[in-house]
Order: sequence, then C-alpha cells, then structure tokens
Amino acid sequence: MTLSAEEPGDLPEAAVRRFAEGAFTSGLTVPDFAACLQMGLEPVGFTQGYCVMQWQFYGTSPFGMGGFGGQSGIRGYNETFSCPHGMVSGEHRAWGQNYEQAWVQDAWTTGFTTAYERMEEEAASGGAHGIVGVVDASGPLADMGVVEFRIQGTAVRVIDGQAPADGRPWTTYLAGQRLTKLVEAGYAPVSIAASVASVRQWANCVTQYLTEGSNSMYGGITQGAEIVQTVKAQTVARQLATDGIKRQLAGDSLHGAALSTVQRNLGEGDVEIECVLRGNRVRRFKPFDPMPSPRPTVRLL
Amino acid sequence: MSDAPEETPQDLPEGASRRLAELENGLFTSDLSVNEFLLIKEVGFHPLGFVMGSSIYHTGIQTRKWGQSQELTKLTEAMYNARELAMTRMEEEALELGADGVVGVRLDVNYYEWGKDAAEFIAVGTAVKAENGVSHRNKLGKPFTSDLSGQDFWTLMQTGHIPQGLVMGTCVYHIAHRGLGATLGSAGQNVELPNFTQALYEARELAMTRMQDEANELGASGIVGVRLEEKSHQWGSHTIEFLSLGTAVVKTSDDVTLPRPTTIISLDN
Repeated sequence: MTLSAEEPGDLPEAAVRRFAEGAFTSGLTVPDFAACLQMGLEPVGFTQGYCVMQWQFYGTSPFGMGGFGGQSGIRGYNETFSCPHGMVSGEHRAWGQNYEQAWVQDAWTTGFTTAYERMEEEAASGGAHGIVGVVDASGPLADMGVVEFRIQGTAVRVIDGQAPADGRPWTTYLAGQRLTKLVEAGYAPVSIAASVASVRQWANCVTQYLTEGSNSMYGGITQGAEIVQTVKAQTVARQLATDGIKRQLAGDSLHGAALSTVQRNLGEGDVEIECVLRGNRVRRFKPFDPMPSPRPTVRLL
Repeated sequence: MSDAPEETPQDLPEGASRRLAELENGLFTSDLSVNEFLLIKEVGFHPLGFVMGSSIYHTGIQTRKWGQSQELTKLTEAMYNARELAMTRMEEEALELGADGVVGVRLDVNYYEWGKDAAEFIAVGTAVKAENGVSHRNKLGKPFTSDLSGQDFWTLMQTGHIPQGLVMGTCVYHIAHRGLGATLGSAGQNVELPNFTQALYEARELAMTRMQDEANELGASGIVGVRLEEKSHQWGSHTIEFLSLGTAVVKTSDDVTLPRPTTIISLDN
C-alpha cells in the first residue's frame, strides 16, 4: 500500500476483497437505509479513509513563530497589540500578538484531505456513484501522541443512474430523510466541505489581566470591559474558516454549515483557537417544487 | 424462511429452563418499549420472552514485537469465541421458546474486580415468533438475531428485507512503536505516519471483512446499521480491538413500493 497525501494509492488487500464479495455493508440506520431505497439509491458498501499524523509542537514565542523542522512560518493574519504602559519590567507583557498558525492549518488540511481521498478511492473501486451519511472526526490516537483523521460513509449507487463523469463519487454528510428533503428542494449534493482556521493569541498585559478575572490583583474592584485582543482573535478565526470554505465552493451553495470551536488555554492569557467549519456543498438542479403542506400530528408518547 | 433442520437447545442453566418453561404457558417477558411492542405486533410477530447468554472468558496473553504491527490472533480468537459463546447461549434460550428470532440484541463486555484477566461477555434480547406460523429462522435453522430496535425492525420489513443474524468481525491488532531513528527523522514536523495509518486501516478492514464473511455464510444480501467500535480493554494503548457489528439482512420480496415520505408538523409540546 502506498500512502501519501498526493496519491492515495492502493487500498488495503482486505478492503479490495471486502468490496469484491457478496453482501453489501451499510453504516446507515434502518430509517436512512429505507429512505435511500425510496430515493433510488442502493448501498454498495461501508467506506472508510484514515490518516495518522504526527502533530508536533510549534512556535510558542512571538519571536520564534512557526513550527520547527521546516514548517511554514507566519502567513496571513498577523496583528500586534501594544499595552498602554510601555516597558515597565522584564516580566511585564508590554506586547501582544494575534497570528494565524498556517502550519497547523496545513497539517489539518493534509490529514483531512488524505483520509477523504482514501474513502473516495474505496467507494470508486466498488463502483459507487456517491457516498452518503459521511462522518468525520479527528483526535488523539490512544496515548501515542499522534492525531488520527477518520472519515467514513456509505457508498451508494443510483439505480439505473450513470457514474459521475470524472469518476469521483459525490459525497454528503446527509443521509435518509434529510437527503430526501434536500433533493426535493431541488439541490444535488456535490461534496462535503470543511475548512479549518487556527489563531494564536499571545496576550499583552491588559488581555492577561482581564482574562484572569478582576479578582487577581485588586480584589474585584475593576469594571467589566471588552477584551479587545480576544474578541479580535475569536472573530478572525471564524472569518478565516468561513473564507476557507467559500474558496472551496466555487459558486455552489453550502447547506447545513456547522461551526465548531475548540479553545486551548495556555496560561497567562495565551490562547490557541481552532475553528472547523463543515457543511455540504450542493448545486441546484431543478426549480423548487413545493411539497404538500405538512400534516398535523400528535405522537402517542 | 428456511428449510434447514431446526436445532434443539442444550446445556442451559436449570434456572433458565424453569423460567423459559413458565413462559411457554403464555406469559411473556420483554425489554421492548410499548411503542416497540406495538410495531413488532404490527408486522406480525409476537414477543415470547427476554433471552440472554453469558460467558466469562479468560483472555490470556500474547507476546508482541515492540516494533512490529501485527494481528494478535490468539486475542482475536478469544474475543471472537467469547462473544460467540454468549450469542449461542442466547440463541439456545430462544430455541427453547420456539422463537423465530431475537430482536433488540445488545452485546456487552464487563470486567469485574475479582477477575483481572477475565471478562464477561453477555448477550440479551427479546425472542419473537411469527403469528402466522411461518418459520423465519435463518439458513442455518437458527432463530435470526438482530440489534435493531422495534421501530427499525418494522421499517426494515417495509423495505422487503428480514434479518438473518447479528454478524460481527473482530481483530485485535498491535500497533508498532516508532523507533528512535524514525522519531528523530520527523522531529518537529507535522507529517503523516504511514506505519500507523496502514496498521489501523488494515485492522479495521480485517474486522469488516470477517463480519461480511459471516453475512455471506448466512446467505445475506446486505448488512445494515454497521458500527465500528475500538477499545484497548486492558492491553495498553498500542493494542486495540476493532469490532464491527451489524445486522445481516436478506431480501424477501422484489415487489415492494416504498411510500413517498409525508411531511408532518408535530402538535406535541
């Protein structure tokens, strides 16, 4: 098996055998399975793609920004926040900085894309036209100090339909009823879309003081105030994730966008913010054909 | 439906035989919710009784090479056998009741303080029988098993499929540690670790393939609700069990027209 980000390469032997043999496998729930059959989609197989990444330490100082070992340095967003007191002492944080961690974004994108391409390759090898009910996750693998990207879904074939012209199956996080509604509304799934933004906040003295709470120095006598540097970091992280996904859409629409934010507090007001925006890239293929009005129901709970 | 000879139960505990004998008088036990009970009845099945099987298994040890990714076949066999024993005993209880199948099967592993290297594998579910007297046992003459809920069972029947068995595949795999040279060679970089990726990928595919082999033995046309679970149990982080589970199904009718979905608006609070 060749494993590289540029070229997903061969599938594991067991995967090839699994797709070649008898029964289909499906990770769909039974209601989703039924809804797919109703739409004219037949399951081909449960498909999966993985990528284990080494996730090394990287610049923790504003003077040594960027990862070690040849990682890319700062690019994109970079803003300094000087404190109003000037250089009071060596321990005083007179200078703060927010910056985009491009090397983290690059690593995440490599891991996600590689796993995605492997899943796509599995599905294509089984003659699938699309992959529904995609689930993706990333996280530490046991306590091995590495991060694993996992993407799974159920490959499907359109009954009496044609394979995509470029041979690459379409993909969607949706399945079953939600996919039915999307198609009813006149949209066809193109692919899943995901974008990450990583912003590091290196706090100045004001940010450090305000983020540690008003009780730390003056016994709670200070007034509430907006923490400008933190607001800027959070806003930019979300904006960068949004911009990243817009670039992937190429004129299509994003359906069911979900933004997740993880914040790691590094102490003394220093924070690392990671935003991941996911959604379904969809394309209109027919005018909206209104469905009948919903029927009022009462459940006998 | 099946033409295969129907099996007879063996070695059930005395308490189980007595409990099951009482159930044959008409009283039934079940862990189905009221809604599940309603839907099971709606598709022509009647619950016969709550059935279970258990096996306390010593999983033993197997040596592994520090720097080599490999399947630990002894542990794989142990995990497989233990679950099979629990499932078989549950099926025996269902046979005792004359059931066609078992729905809502749950398969758990429990560890106890008094047995450090032992684990209890337990399978529980509700035995059901077709009310029209037609046998729905699988190709092997055994009651079908399924982890589907009552709602899922009803929905599956509407698609023209019926469960054949809860199928599983397992693979206990040791993921190699990285040597000093490899660690230093990529120090400070965010890069893929192909040895880890390859090992995990291979292990998951093996588990999936074994599950699919079980389904093929049952003559199934597909497996629905596949789940892929991972657990290190008590072996340390580099040894992981990959378990895939799903319900093998067979198509009973091609003449099925699924109803077009109807939009509803709930008037519940």
